[in-house]
Amino acid sequence: MKKILQLTLGIITSVGGFLEIGSVTTSVQAGAQFGYKLLWPIFFGTICLIFLIEMSGRLAAVSRHTIVDAMRERFGFPFFFVVLVGIAIVAFMVLVAELGGIGFALQILTGIGFPWWALPVSFIVWLLMWKGSFSLIENGASLLGLITISFVVAAIKLHPDWSGVASGLLPTMPQSDKARYGFLTVSILGATISPYLMYFYSSGAIEEKWDRSYIVMNRIIAGFGMFFGGFLAMAVLIAAALVFQPKGIQVDTFPQAALVMVTALPKWGFYLFALSMLFACFGAALEFSLAIAYFFAQGFGWNWSEDLEPSKDSRFAFVYTVIILLAAIPLMLGVDPVKVTMISMALTSATLPLAIVPFLFLMNDPIYLGKYRNGWLSNSIVSIVIVISFVLALISIPLQLIGG
Amino acid sequence: MAAKLLAVVLLVSALACKPPSASEQMDSIISWIGTAGMVGEAWLRHTTPDKYTAHTLELAHNSLIDINSGLFKSLPAGIDSAALDSALTRSSAHIGLMQTLVEQKASPDFRTMLDSLYSDEKVVKQFADSVEAKDK
Repeated sequence: MKKILQLTLGIITSVGGFLEIGSVTTSVQAGAQFGYKLLWPIFFGTICLIFLIEMSGRLAAVSRHTIVDAMRERFGFPFFFVVLVGIAIVAFMVLVAELGGIGFALQILTGIGFPWWALPVSFIVWLLMWKGSFSLIENGASLLGLITISFVVAAIKLHPDWSGVASGLLPTMPQSDKARYGFLTVSILGATISPYLMYFYSSGAIEEKWDRSYIVMNRIIAGFGMFFGGFLAMAVLIAAALVFQPKGIQVDTFPQAALVMVTALPKWGFYLFALSMLFACFGAALEFSLAIAYFFAQGFGWNWSEDLEPSKDSRFAFVYTVIILLAAIPLMLGVDPVKVTMISMALTSATLPLAIVPFLFLMNDPIYLGKYRNGWLSNSIVSIVIVISFVLALISIPLQLIGG
Repeated sequence: MAAKLLAVVLLVSALACKPPSASEQMDSIISWIGTAGMVGEAWLRHTTPDKYTAHTLELAHNSLIDINSGLFKSLPAGIDSAALDSALTRSSAHIGLMQTLVEQKASPDFRTMLDSLYSDEKVVKQFADSVEAKDK
């Protein structure tokens, strides 16, 4: 009974925690400009993510190691340090974007500019990190994030052409704006195949003391949770395609994106969008702050657990305190979170090889996984992700310059 | 190898520095006029707050002024720039007035202004089609 409850909660939190500023911004922009044509990177990225998340949980449940622990142990500190620098810089940018997303949501609700929200919001995020437990952060924020299901309601109420939606699941090349199309493809993949989610998930499995008896549950949570999460991102794109594209509206700013549900849900659409962004970005800001702190603490071999008193893992608490404070600074200076989001999503794609290549080695290492090592299907999927991640790493920066 | 890499970097930089074409700028103009129309309709239905509506209209107004200032340098030959300028000036003026009317909560006048904006939008769209055809 306890496991069924955990399973249900796991799936619900995966769904509620899936959307964040990166997935919403890229999906809205893609739908507004290219209609259903960019559904395929969300679909493809979600399939890859399901496999990567399942592997992250399996590694933790079998070896009792997080990905970062195992990476440092298997490849040594110098290699880990290179990964740390790459991942930490981009994760920091994403944290700035998530805090900015909360600020933007509060701005459209109250009329007070987002720079004014940077400090109070950062303080609340920090306070929850300081006082809260892992389950509060994971479950509380994600349950509130279930409001993002309103995007699905909006998309269905707009009566999409389902055959067009289905054809959007297959890659096609547009006649014009190819650089922009490529940039958005890279950004969507960066927003979907997020390595931080893998780090967070494997750390969460250790926090919740998973063992081998959780392997089946892990598979179901990863499969259903991520699938329905990807479905939410597709709903955002479909709604944007139906609302903005016919009017020729290219969504460059957050206030424009806020209109995505207004047509389908005239009475509540605006407020549902604002609250969806508020809770989704809030949950993501907590998860990113934790993921960065986990990364440092596990990499340097410090004490770490969100369930410990800060005095017992002071260096872990110090990292998230400093990171959250630093992330507030660009926002107070008025840096546009939407621009930071688009840059950080493309850079996430660029840093994917750093995260995925060592992961493939770990998932085939009998010392860590014994008989639970990857099979041919999982290895094929990770290999495909690696090939794509190298291509993305090469093209993301030029596309950023031309198409972003 | 180094030379090839340098050539790629230079090419990318050149493309990145390229200013947006007239057709792309016209798309942005249509996008902002469309945004103003959409947020205006939502406000008339009392489904968006005043401050958000006024802020979005201000954003649209300022963006239109910004784009207009650079558009005429890149317009292809054969486009009646005086007529286009007049349509764009009218559009941005209407959006500016809509912002003021939101602050005054003057819904009937706002409706009239919004209808005028739709007329401007039709004219601007015709110009955008001509610019796109000439750009190709």
